[in-house]
Amino acid sequence: MKVRSCSNLSALMFVILMLSGQSSLASQGSVTDRILEANEPFDNSQIESAHSLPDQTVWAKENFQGRKFKVLARKNHMVRYRCTTCHNNEKKILVNDGVLLTHGDIKMNHGQGENNLTCVECHHPQDRDALIDKQGEKIDFDHSYQLCGQCHFRQKRDWLGGAHGKRVKYWAGERVIRNCTTCHPAHAPKFKKRMPATYSLPLTK
Amino acid sequence: MNSRKDETDPMNKEEIVEGKSSRRSFLKGLSIAAAASSAALVTGGCSLESLPKSREELGLKWETYFQENYRLMTQEEKDQTVERLTRQAKLEDNLDIHISSQPPREKVLYGYAFNISRCEGFMDCVEACVQENNLDRNAKTQYIRIFEMEPGKLDPSTGDGKYFHKVPVDDKFYMGVQCFHCENAPCIKACPVKATWREPDGIVVVDYNWCIGCRYCMAACPYYGRRFNWGEPSVPEEEITRQQHYLGNRKRMKGVMEKCTFCIQRTRQGKLPACVEACPTGSRVFGNLLDPDSEIRFVLKNKKVFRFKEELGTDPKFWYFID
Repeated sequence: MKVRSCSNLSALMFVILMLSGQSSLASQGSVTDRILEANEPFDNSQIESAHSLPDQTVWAKENFQGRKFKVLARKNHMVRYRCTTCHNNEKKILVNDGVLLTHGDIKMNHGQGENNLTCVECHHPQDRDALIDKQGEKIDFDHSYQLCGQCHFRQKRDWLGGAHGKRVKYWAGERVIRNCTTCHPAHAPKFKKRMPATYSLPLTK
Repeated sequence: MNSRKDETDPMNKEEIVEGKSSRRSFLKGLSIAAAASSAALVTGGCSLESLPKSREELGLKWETYFQENYRLMTQEEKDQTVERLTRQAKLEDNLDIHISSQPPREKVLYGYAFNISRCEGFMDCVEACVQENNLDRNAKTQYIRIFEMEPGKLDPSTGDGKYFHKVPVDDKFYMGVQCFHCENAPCIKACPVKATWREPDGIVVVDYNWCIGCRYCMAACPYYGRRFNWGEPSVPEEEITRQQHYLGNRKRMKGVMEKCTFCIQRTRQGKLPACVEACPTGSRVFGNLLDPDSEIRFVLKNKKVFRFKEELGTDPKFWYFID
């Protein structure tokens, strides 16, 4: 009897060993299998080195599938912000200063052909420190994605998820992504043609 | 580190290759060797000051020569190894570098996606890669290749890989190729000495000290993802990236293989690879495949994706996608 239980035990051990062997094999399966198996969110806090971003960031006013994220701030990069330092009804601006300050350097190239946008289609006509969407809602310069997404809704959907735009510096840690205007100058958003940064080598056959 | 190349006298080797060896040149070589050895005897007694330093250097070289395969080392041995290599860099090249032996992280499998409808061929990625990974400037080694493609074609060998003009060109698209870090990598199977393997976080790496330079892996790779050092790699001292990893961008030797490592020295610290960070168009997406909240998982779930030569069964962790 004793001998029998002993053999049972060894059989059990054998089965356990086999199973553990199989599970280790399963983890070596195809990438697709491994991706489909992994449904547990990754603990981003375990990567200590992925913190401390140098740039100024703000919490996005929208989230993606319930997850909050940050975007790079815009206002601190705007040279003449606040706009109301000039655009108010208190102070008169001299013609000579006006030449410097009338944004004559801006070449609008946003929208094709005759549909090229004008200033007040995005800028708030009264409150110059803000943008305005098609519903007449004020939009903060730091949250321009709310404005751009009205027309470019496909890009915005991808941007929220991560297929458009870029994460800043880290793949781990807190999700910080670039704002629309970090890459696209709002007045002429298309990238300009230029020479490549380097050359490419031929494919050897 | 350089022990292997010192085994044969370069002069004799040249003569053997060119078949010009004669009795005269043999005797000439012999006399030079004799003179050199006698000189060594004479100076060996005098230069006491340089002796301890060179002795340390020689000792380290000796240890490097008998170094174990990195994969078989314990973490302690790995740490000792990178410490020795750091010291060697200081002694041989007077460089203050930091070589890491950081192990892979749990529950991480790196994956990459490339947006072919958004890439405009600026090649900032290539430039960043060359700088980050201390690639040989003499041989102009590049891990990444960008191809200018005709619409409708999806095989880079049909594209122009030598373009150098203003980009993007209308009605062309751009496709980047690099090591795809296959889960079922042919290069790993081809290696006769097991000098290349897949790390638990999915990165296919090379132990440069264990590689014998047979280039079987290069022949086995269906993606032309691997590069060989035909000569001693050279990088201008001021351009050397100091933060290095044993399996990543540390100094390579003549006659070993190297390849993209997803910037292992960066990614294991949570950073994005250099190419991803440099891309001005946001065509490159990188992240943890095992994290359902990651960007790469969003791409795989929501975009039209394909993998290059998927029918080969190499199971690469590099997807192309379109908007």
